[in-house]
This record gives sequence, structure tokens and C-alpha cells, in this order.
Amino acid sequence: MDADIKKRLLSPSKATKQERRGKTVTFITAAFIIVLTFAIIVFIANLGLRTFYKDNVNIWEFLTGTAWNPGEVDSHGHPIAGAAPMIVTSILVTLLSAVIATPFALAIGVYMTEYASKRQRQILRPMIELFTGIPSVVYGFLGLTILVPLMRNTFGGTGFGILPAILVLFFMILPTITSMTVDALKAVPVSFRQAALALGATKWQSIYKIVFRAALPGIFTAIIFGMSRAFGEALAVQMVIGNSILMPENLVSPTSTLTSQLTSQIGNTIMGSVQNDALWSLALILLLMSLFFNVLVRFITKKGKMNGR
Amino acid sequence: MKDYNIVTPKEEIRISTKDLSVKYGDKLALHPTTLAFPRHQITALIGASGSGKSTYLRSLNRMNDKIATVEGQILFENVDVNQPKINVFELRKHIGMVFQRPNPFAKTIYENIAYAPRYHGIKDKRQLDEIVEKSLRQAALWNEVKDDLNKSALALSGGQQQRLCIARAIAMKPSILLLDEPASALDPISTGVLEETLVELKKNYTMIMVTHNMQQATRVSDYTAFFQLGKVYEYDKTVNVFTNPQVKLTQDYVEGRFG
Amino acid sequence: MDVKKVDHLAKRIIQVMVGIVAVLLVLIIGYILVTGLPQESIDFLFKPSQAVKAGGGIRDQLWNSIYLLILALLISIPLSLGAGIYLAEYAPDNKLTHFIQTLIEILSSLPSIVVGLFGYLVLVIRFNMGFSILSGALTLTVFNLPLLTSNIENALRSVSDEQREGGLALGLSRWQTIKGILLPRTVPEIITGVVLSSGRIFGEAAALIYTSGQSAPALNYLNWNPLSPESPLNVMRPAETLAVHIWKLNTEGLTIDADIVSAAASAVLILVVLLFNILAHYLGNKLERKLTGGK
Repeated sequence: MDADIKKRLLSPSKATKQERRGKTVTFITAAFIIVLTFAIIVFIANLGLRTFYKDNVNIWEFLTGTAWNPGEVDSHGHPIAGAAPMIVTSILVTLLSAVIATPFALAIGVYMTEYASKRQRQILRPMIELFTGIPSVVYGFLGLTILVPLMRNTFGGTGFGILPAILVLFFMILPTITSMTVDALKAVPVSFRQAALALGATKWQSIYKIVFRAALPGIFTAIIFGMSRAFGEALAVQMVIGNSILMPENLVSPTSTLTSQLTSQIGNTIMGSVQNDALWSLALILLLMSLFFNVLVRFITKKGKMNGR
Repeated sequence: MKDYNIVTPKEEIRISTKDLSVKYGDKLALHPTTLAFPRHQITALIGASGSGKSTYLRSLNRMNDKIATVEGQILFENVDVNQPKINVFELRKHIGMVFQRPNPFAKTIYENIAYAPRYHGIKDKRQLDEIVEKSLRQAALWNEVKDDLNKSALALSGGQQQRLCIARAIAMKPSILLLDEPASALDPISTGVLEETLVELKKNYTMIMVTHNMQQATRVSDYTAFFQLGKVYEYDKTVNVFTNPQVKLTQDYVEGRFG
Repeated sequence: MDVKKVDHLAKRIIQVMVGIVAVLLVLIIGYILVTGLPQESIDFLFKPSQAVKAGGGIRDQLWNSIYLLILALLISIPLSLGAGIYLAEYAPDNKLTHFIQTLIEILSSLPSIVVGLFGYLVLVIRFNMGFSILSGALTLTVFNLPLLTSNIENALRSVSDEQREGGLALGLSRWQTIKGILLPRTVPEIITGVVLSSGRIFGEAAALIYTSGQSAPALNYLNWNPLSPESPLNVMRPAETLAVHIWKLNTEGLTIDADIVSAAASAVLILVVLLFNILAHYLGNKLERKLTGGK
């Protein structure tokens, strides 16, 4: 009996084998995520950079040039690949949609955390969740059938352009910004509000001066997430923006974003051609911007922590 | 008075440590400790918070493996079980543990007890039924739950949950039971029931129990070890430790003069 | 202006803004359901689509969406379970672990068109899978993996350490503790996460237009041979989904009744998303109750 226990204490069992196997298998799946992320970056960067080292497009001209016709060459023999109209439009729709959506998101966030009754909260929360889930093509379809004709009748022209794109994106990023803002506002301790109210501040003063300030890093993060979503949104924007590669003249002139150009053109070019390479360069910009938004969020979170929150 | 008073019990020794020390990172939480625990007796580990008593207890079944560096020997069944080649899963079958807060699994009462024995190879339903009943009887819970074996264990009261956790531990037929402040989350009545249960269990198990409550130590235990700032100062029969302590620190502590 | 008035005004403005958004949201849903639902009929759901002629249905697109969803979940659930378990239970608190967590955040915020293009590049072209259900399902996995992984990781992290120690103290391996004790406890949270992400997958189009393709060859639902090109089970055939169908109807505009079909298909999409949302709450709550003993 004694010897038996001793032997079992010193020899491996089902449990020890399971232990090793469990750890190995789960590590492999986690490692897969590393491989996958790097594969995405490497594959897209590999094709996206070809424009510059193989097709001889000058990076500066690519970023600032306004003429996009990569199939043709200019007087220096370089392909004409000026992506500025798409870059500018992408940035414009992102910023403008965030500018419109943020006040509404803040209003809903404040309403839900500070003013709403339990019942109202119970209606608003699932509603926001539902809107987060509505597919982008549905928004695109609505934009195309309602907004574009509305623009056409109001402003003339085709009706396609930045304005309908911003309005569509407004609805798409609003739930994102709102739900993250709600989380940020909720994280502010109740004692902060009570302290402000005890000092004789009005409710609005306590919200504006205390709660907002404390939740600021979280709110910024929410806005950046919204912008990141707007910048990367493809189909809904592509359906209402007009897709002609021109610098936007006004809010209702047809133009093109990075995503819309990619969506409509990548299937029409041949792999390995200059035109195709140039499109992958646009994809690379998208990828880099997405990384940039990530870094920004990290920076804000870190900054927020350092300031004591 | 002496600086230290550590006796070696005359009874048969079931488990002992030799110079067992524990470090969290660079911080020494437990100085080298040598203690021997007698068979079928209850030993209480007392001392203030942070005195190292829980750290010591958790090292005995290697629960500190991933958290701390444990050095020295733990002798059990003539083997030093504090070495890397020891199969800790096998070891924990022989040295069971009950925790501070009741931690029943989100399963039925029956499954809480049968889960581990089944995993360790007992597949026969009749045999499992028997184990469940016997463990619950030993933990003095059978009469309260025998008609609700298929109900969720989370619906039990705190005291019942803790006795279920004892039943779960003894279902493995361990020879040693480690108890880490088992009554600290319970009300006085549940505590009383639990203490009676422990005294009853003494017939079959060697128990080592961490407690904050000195009355509890005197009511339940046969031996007592007094810990202070990571060291054991006194280890003797409980009667001696509480009525005739040999060390000044122990005397202060049991008389209620802390520090 | 005195502070009382500002306080009052602020509240009013906030109420008005919330009201505007609420009305707009109701109008959107209302518009889609009102224009879409009257077109809805059992017939519409069960007849094939038309490329040019009016009167097409969405039978194959609907099936493709469902089939893709199932395949994507079948691939991404085991993978994210593994990664989630590793991060929550096994991973040491070191640089590599933080690095993996960072990558997951990056991956989850990538635009879906970028994920779709990656799938196109690697699966469709490099691995020669062509526009196929399989390419689409694998691409959706890339899309879904980070979300599910962090869902599972967070669910596991929210289980108290006492449960882990309880399992380990009984001589169970860590793996068995995870499998038998921790995971069952997190099932409500994981199910909620899976159902919500299903809604996203179901409506995803940008990641699919260049992977599962934009054409829906007519299927023969009596053909159960997975190798046959007209079998609904075949994973190597191109498969336009419902969401892609809506996009295509509206951008190419060859179909005469594109508006009507899109409205009806959008209504279906929204109803499915709604259904998934309700299901997520219902299942989550129900399992939670069952687990905690009906309290």
C-alpha cells in the first residue's frame, strides 16, 4: 500500500499528460493569431509597396497627386497614381461624421447614465445594441434610395457625394460611440457626482465639470473607435459617394474614398499589373490607418491612467 | 521564557516539513519551518494575518507552485513531495483541501462530489452513488440534501456549501485534509455545525486547519502552531499552547495582546 | 444666465437630441419593415433570384448566408476557444502575452474590406480556392476570431480563482478544471457572445464580395452530394450571400425590381439580426438561471 502510493506519486498519470497537451494545443491556437496578423500585414504590405519600388511611383506624388490613372504614364515615365482625392475624401467623411455623431452620442450617453429612468434605459440599451448590429449594406441601401434622391432634389447634380456618405456613417458610428461613452460615464464613481452636488453644483454643472472630465479618456477612445469604423467602412459609403476619382469640390459632388475605390475596382484589374498594385497601396494605407487608430487609443488610455484614472 | 518551543508529537506522524520556506518573488513570506503532524488529530495554525500560516498550509499540497518559490522538504508517505518530479495531481488526491470561502462548482450537489472521483477512474454508477452518500453523511449534510441531489449546489446556504466542499474533498478518500479558515465566511450556528463535523471526521482523517479564531482552535484542535511574521514560534499540544505557553509572543497573542 | 436656467436648458437640449435620434432610428426600422415586409412571402424566401427580370426571390442567398455562418462558426469557435483559454488560463503575465493581446485588438479593428482583400489574396488566389464558400468561411473566421477570443478570455477571467483552486485541489489537471468546471460556468456569456457575433457575420458583405463571390449558381436542394456543383452542401462553389446580394442589386442595377427585392431582403436581414439579439439575451439569461439553481 505504502509502496503503491509512493510509486504513483512519482509516475505521470492521465492528468499530467492532459496538462501538457492542453497547454500545447491552446498555445498553438494563440500562436495562430500571431501568424495570422503578421500574414495580413506582410501580404498586403508586400503588394502595396510594389507600386513604389517596382512601378516607380514616387511616394510623395502618390500621397499628394490628384490624378489617378495608374494604367498611363506621365512625362517622366512614371505611372499616374495620385491618391490624394481618395485620401482627402476618406479623412473628410471620417472627421465630419464623427463631428456630427459625437454630440448625439454624448447626449444619449449622458441621458442614459444621468437622467433616464430604469424603464427608459431598458428601452434605449437594446435599441442601441440592435443598431450596432444592422448590416452596413442596409444603411447603404437606405442611403441610396432615400438620401441620394433627397440630395439630388435639394442641391441638384447627381445627389452622390460626401454629404450622403457622412449621414450614412453617422448612423453607423453613432451606436459604437454611444455604447462606449456610456461605459466611460458609468465608470465614473457615484461619489464624484455626490461630492459635486453636495457643494451646491447643479446637475448639469456636476456632469459638465466633474463627470465629463473624469470620463474624458474613455470618451476620446469611443470617438476614435467610431472614426476607425468610419474610415474603414466600405460598402455603405461606396453605394452613396459616386465613385469618381475627383477631389471633392463640395459636399454633394461625386468623389471616392479609399475603401470605395478598392471595393469597386479590385475585381476589375489583373493581379500584378500596375493598376492592381496601386490599389493594394490604397489597401496598405487603410491598414496603416487602422494601426494608427490603435496606437492612438493606446496612447490615450495610457495618458488617462497617468492622470490618475 | 524561551525563544522557540517546537515539540515533535509522540503519535504516529502522517506528514511533516523540514526547513520549508516560501518566497514571493524576492520577499521571504515563510522562514524555514520544521513541523510534524500527528495522524488522526487536528492541528490548528494560528497567528495574525500575514503571519505565513495560510502560505504554509497551501504549500503542503503544492497549491503555491505557480505563485511562489517553495524550498525545503515535505515528507509524506516517506517521499519528499516537494520536488519537481512529483505528480502533483496524484498528491492532491491524498491531501485534500477546503477553502476560506465555500466554492461549490456550478453543478448539481451530486455532481459536485462525483465529478472528481469519476475523473480519477470510478465510472460505476452504484459505486459513485455510494461515495456521494458516504461523503455527505460524513460531512453531516446527507439528511439535509438527500432529496435534492440533482439541484444546483449554488442554491445551498453558505454553511451547507462549505460542508459540501468538505464532502467533495473527502470523496477522494484523502489521508490528510487541509482547511484554510473554513468557518470564516459562516454565521455562528453554521460554524458550530461545521466544528462538530470536523471533530467527527478526526476518526478517519489527519487535519491541519488555519484559523483566526482562537476559541475555535481550543474547541477543535489537538495541537496548535503559532505563526508570527513568517515564523513558527510555538508548536505543542493545544492545551499547553493556550494555558501554559513557553514563548512570550505566544502568550501575548493568546491573551489578546497582539504585536 | 443663471446656473439654474443653464441646468434646465441643458437637460432640455439633451432630451431633444435623444428624441431626434430615437425618432430617426424608429423611422429607419419602420421604413425597411414597411417597404420590405409586404413583399415578403413564403414564396419570396423560397424562390431563386433573377439577374435581370423582376420577381426574383432570395432562396439561394438565404441558404448561402446560413451555410456560411454555420461553417464560419464551426471553424472559429474551436480556434477562439483555444486562444481564449490560453490567454486566460495558461499564459504567463509576460511580454509575449501582452503582444498577443495587442494583436487581437489590432485584428478586431481591421476594416472588413481589408480582411476580405487578404482572404482574396491568400485563399482565392494563392491557395487557388477560387470564389467559394470555403474561402468566405475562412475569411469570416479571420473577422470573427479576435472578437470571440476576447469574449471567451473575458468570460473565463470573470470566474473567481476559488473555482480554479477548487478543481486543482481535487487533483484535477488544469485542463480538466477548465473543461469541466470553468467553461460550464461561462457558457451563458460565451453563448451570448457567439450569437451576437453571428448577427454580425450574417450581415457582413465587404469581407465576402471578393471571397465567397458575387454569384449564386442555382442550387438543387435535392442534391446532397457535397461534390456536385449544384449541391447546397458543396463548399467549393461561389456563393453570394443575402448581404452581398443587396449590395450587388444596388450597385449594378441590372435587375428591374432591385428596390423591391433589396427592401425585402433588408427586412429579412434586420429581422434576423433582431432575432439574434433577442436570442442572445434570452439564452444568456436562461442558462444563467439554470446554472445558479433557478434563483
